[in-house]
Amino acid sequence: MEPGKPSGNGSVRVARERQLGDLLVRWSFMAPAIVLLLVLLAYPIFYTIDISFSRFDIATFGAGAWVGWDNYREVMSDYRFWESLKVTMIYLAFALPIQVVVGFGIAYLINAEWAGRGIIRALFIIPMVVAPVVAGGMWRMILDPLWGLMNYWLGFIGIGPLDWFGDPNLAMAAVIIIDTWRWTPFIVLIATAAMLALPKDVFEAARIDGCNWWSTLWSVAVPLLVPVIAATFVIRWLGAVKMFDIVLAATYGGPGKATNVVNLFIYEEAFRSLRFAESAAMAVIVLILTMVLTGLFLRASRKLEELF
Amino acid sequence: MKWETFDALLFDVLDEYEAAVRDGANDEEAKIRCAALLAVHRDDLPYPNVNVVFDGVPYTELLAKMMLDATSPDPEYDVLLVDDPWVPQLAGIGALVDLKGPEVSAITDEGYDWADFNAAPLAAGEWQGVQYAVPVRSNMLLRFYNRTLYEQAGLPEPTPAQTWDEFFSDAEKLVRDTDGDGKDDVWAIDTYFVREPLTPTIWQSILNANGGSLLDDSGVPAFANEIGAKSLETHKRMLDYAPPGALGHGFSESLQAFRQGLVANMFNWGSVYKSTAVDPKSTTLTVDEVGIQVLPVGDVQAGAHRGIWIAGISSKTDELNASWAFLQWLTSKEGESINASLVGSFPARKSTLSGEPAEPWLGPVYETLQNAYEVAGEGHMWRIRSPKSDAAQQILADEIARGLAGQASPDEALGVAAKKIERALK
Repeated sequence: MEPGKPSGNGSVRVARERQLGDLLVRWSFMAPAIVLLLVLLAYPIFYTIDISFSRFDIATFGAGAWVGWDNYREVMSDYRFWESLKVTMIYLAFALPIQVVVGFGIAYLINAEWAGRGIIRALFIIPMVVAPVVAGGMWRMILDPLWGLMNYWLGFIGIGPLDWFGDPNLAMAAVIIIDTWRWTPFIVLIATAAMLALPKDVFEAARIDGCNWWSTLWSVAVPLLVPVIAATFVIRWLGAVKMFDIVLAATYGGPGKATNVVNLFIYEEAFRSLRFAESAAMAVIVLILTMVLTGLFLRASRKLEELF
Repeated sequence: MKWETFDALLFDVLDEYEAAVRDGANDEEAKIRCAALLAVHRDDLPYPNVNVVFDGVPYTELLAKMMLDATSPDPEYDVLLVDDPWVPQLAGIGALVDLKGPEVSAITDEGYDWADFNAAPLAAGEWQGVQYAVPVRSNMLLRFYNRTLYEQAGLPEPTPAQTWDEFFSDAEKLVRDTDGDGKDDVWAIDTYFVREPLTPTIWQSILNANGGSLLDDSGVPAFANEIGAKSLETHKRMLDYAPPGALGHGFSESLQAFRQGLVANMFNWGSVYKSTAVDPKSTTLTVDEVGIQVLPVGDVQAGAHRGIWIAGISSKTDELNASWAFLQWLTSKEGESINASLVGSFPARKSTLSGEPAEPWLGPVYETLQNAYEVAGEGHMWRIRSPKSDAAQQILADEIARGLAGQASPDEALGVAAKKIERALK
């Protein structure tokens, strides 16, 4: 054995110590996050799951006797739950594509260098920082058929008066308009950042090759942006699927059941009807559905990244 | 957030209101905390040694918050303000003290006259033979009408004897284009049409006036029949004479439309009278313009609906004496009068209603209120009283909203509601 060099056993021990130290450091960094996640995320989820399999004891405000799948059976047989899921899907099917297309479209249009661009970008943030309930209430006033400004303005171009909260289709349109007003700026910001990061030489080459505005957009910019568009869609999906407060403030889920999204229905069943166990079962079902769909979207997003 | 059953006037004083009343047992200062909306002014109170803190809570969150608080080991609230149908739920979890039990009777003033309360509002605080709460804000669903709009339409002022047929006959003439631009700008009626738990109270008052009832004697839903469907058709027919967008209207919107002189009739809670007819800060109308009476007569009787706010004492309070002293004062004739003149809250005592009103405008209002108590008593015009009443009311809200929006026929909507409520009440 050469002097100064550790023996075989010694080097293994040193390597193990280093490995252990490294592991400890890693876990010590992760520990606060893990504790926070356990307290703030895991506990409420397990509490909800526990309640969903129990009879809710209102006197202790916790899970009572175990009832197995009864609450799930009750929920599955309630047409209102399925209707609210359907309403949520309709809202998502319209709101998400509109927001992504409009967001990236605006970003593309304002991407050119011009004075005051920074100020406009800053102003775009305003709708995002308005509390959803305030946004819902504000838009309820704007769209009100009796007092609102929207019908007044539309009257100048010969449209209306529109019954925004009395017609089921218009009520859904109102919710989508309010949500789009709130969240499109967020997509514009992401899209703008993504566009600024695109390689300029590719666009330069396209220009030299004689591409017009449309072919540059369709054949150069969009393929380069597809991974970002897909990622933005997933992020927005995760936000949009939680839709609740705007509906609560703007339409109360009506007219009839036209805008009664699933989260509003769960909230009403829990905190108005005090049916916490059934609401917990619905929340668990929605959680699972959301996880499955999110998984599918992430998979599709990765496929798109590979393709482009 | 919606603050549906609270008056706009009340919000001004709700944020954190302090009042002072005497601790019934001794002169040491005691602090009690009250969930929600009683409003009294400390200068008007004779007892300086109890500090009362009021927390305003949105109506839709109030029951859940109170139940959560009441079931905690150390509840925050000493006095709970309870809506008409909630007593069974709170009593069911043992949240409220028996106000006629030996413990409270021992500290009740000799002059506190239980028999002076009208039976209908006092019954709102009772459940299974136990008096858990006392009426502090005796609301009734009433008909407000605008005399000027009736006169301009060439119609006589409506009377409490007016039937629904006569109401709709008038409604045809009350929808008018007053400025000649070819568009209607005044309408006949506005009330609750939106999807929310208080909207079914309008349908129910019509149902009861037509001789129907929510439940039969055995507690089974009894409204999914011809009377129920006819009553829902009547509720829906009002939309033909209501302002545009009325399907999304509830408490606030109908109140706003009436106060602005846009609608000739409004079915709403009587306690908004002061802010609708008296206070120029909140209304364009005057006392002379605003009439108040029970809802139109159905096949059997006139309509109304009981919406009494009652207050009880938390069973876990450390301040029983102070809490009961405060509630006794607030529900005394003196307390009722001050509460009525300050915020328009209605009294429940017969002696207050038949006595000299604190303000002249209260005279006709008290007369209507006394009539409404009798009408509501005859027709059993109150919401389902059960520990599951809120679940039942939410089901009714969903189905009545579907019926009003035309997404289900009245028969279908009421059939679904009856089945679901039967299951919920089991």
